[in-house]
Amino acid sequence: MTDMQLTAGQPANANATAESFSKPTAKTSATGTPFTRILGIATVVSMALLVLFGLFLSPEDVVQGESVRILYIHVGTVWVAYVAFGVTALSSLAFLWKRTTSLTWDRIAGASAEVGVLFMALTLFAGAIWGRLAWGKFWVWDARVTTTAFLFITYIGYLAVRGLGGSHQQRGRRSAVVALLAVLEIPLVHFSVKLWRGLHQDSSVADTTKVKLHDLMLFSLFISLIAFTLLFVWLVMHRQRVLAMQDALEDKGLDYALEQRRSEGGL
Amino acid sequence: MAALGIVGMEDVGFILATYIATFVGSIALAVYYLRRGRRLAAQLPPDDKPWA
Repeated sequence: MTDMQLTAGQPANANATAESFSKPTAKTSATGTPFTRILGIATVVSMALLVLFGLFLSPEDVVQGESVRILYIHVGTVWVAYVAFGVTALSSLAFLWKRTTSLTWDRIAGASAEVGVLFMALTLFAGAIWGRLAWGKFWVWDARVTTTAFLFITYIGYLAVRGLGGSHQQRGRRSAVVALLAVLEIPLVHFSVKLWRGLHQDSSVADTTKVKLHDLMLFSLFISLIAFTLLFVWLVMHRQRVLAMQDALEDKGLDYALEQRRSEGGL
Repeated sequence: MAALGIVGMEDVGFILATYIATFVGSIALAVYYLRRGRRLAAQLPPDDKPWA
């Protein structure tokens, strides 16, 4: 239903109703607005800065050597994954709140979780590469690594729950409950390095008594956090709008199709 | 000059693989959202696209 191409074969003299379904032009892109375009440009610029500082300008670490450059990706992506899952939980809470129950909150929750899963996958990938260089293995059953993988699988499950079917309200309620349970894993992941002794290093930036980072390293990390946060916001805004259109088409797609066929036939 | 520095970098393959995977993954998702959005927008009237 959602993949119907209603505009195919539309006659040139179609009336105003049919024209309202016309394909978006470059100026009126489907999910873009002036704000998202500015956001997109800012994201590209900050990503370019991340490459410049992360790969070229930041010095190598005394202990880790060049592999420290991987951490500018690893830390940035895990930060965004945490934020994404936090946004999913807050949006789910807003959806369940009696006075709102707006499907927009549910869509933001779904969009944020989807983007979070991508960033969590990238976190695990970057972590595995870094682990290969630092520990000699792509994977170790360390507490932080294992709980992170578990968090990743949990949110894949959340996305699966979203796709179970039913009305949009049912989907919203069901997935909101799962999201509020899933977010409880984040403190467990974060504090796993303190709760259990493992290979994964403890906090390096927040605790300045243990390690003093080089200014350029700190700045590269800062750029990384900014770049990935901007990317996250851009992706969630677009995905939320895609989901809104998907819902609208599921609700009213048949009516629109009939309306358009009638207008094409001059009825 | 800076670009040449990366060639001599230790474990350059691993480091570049991380950056490339991250950017390719992010760009692929962004392109998918834009294409999907354009396809759906063509099937809906402006009333269903309040942001437009």
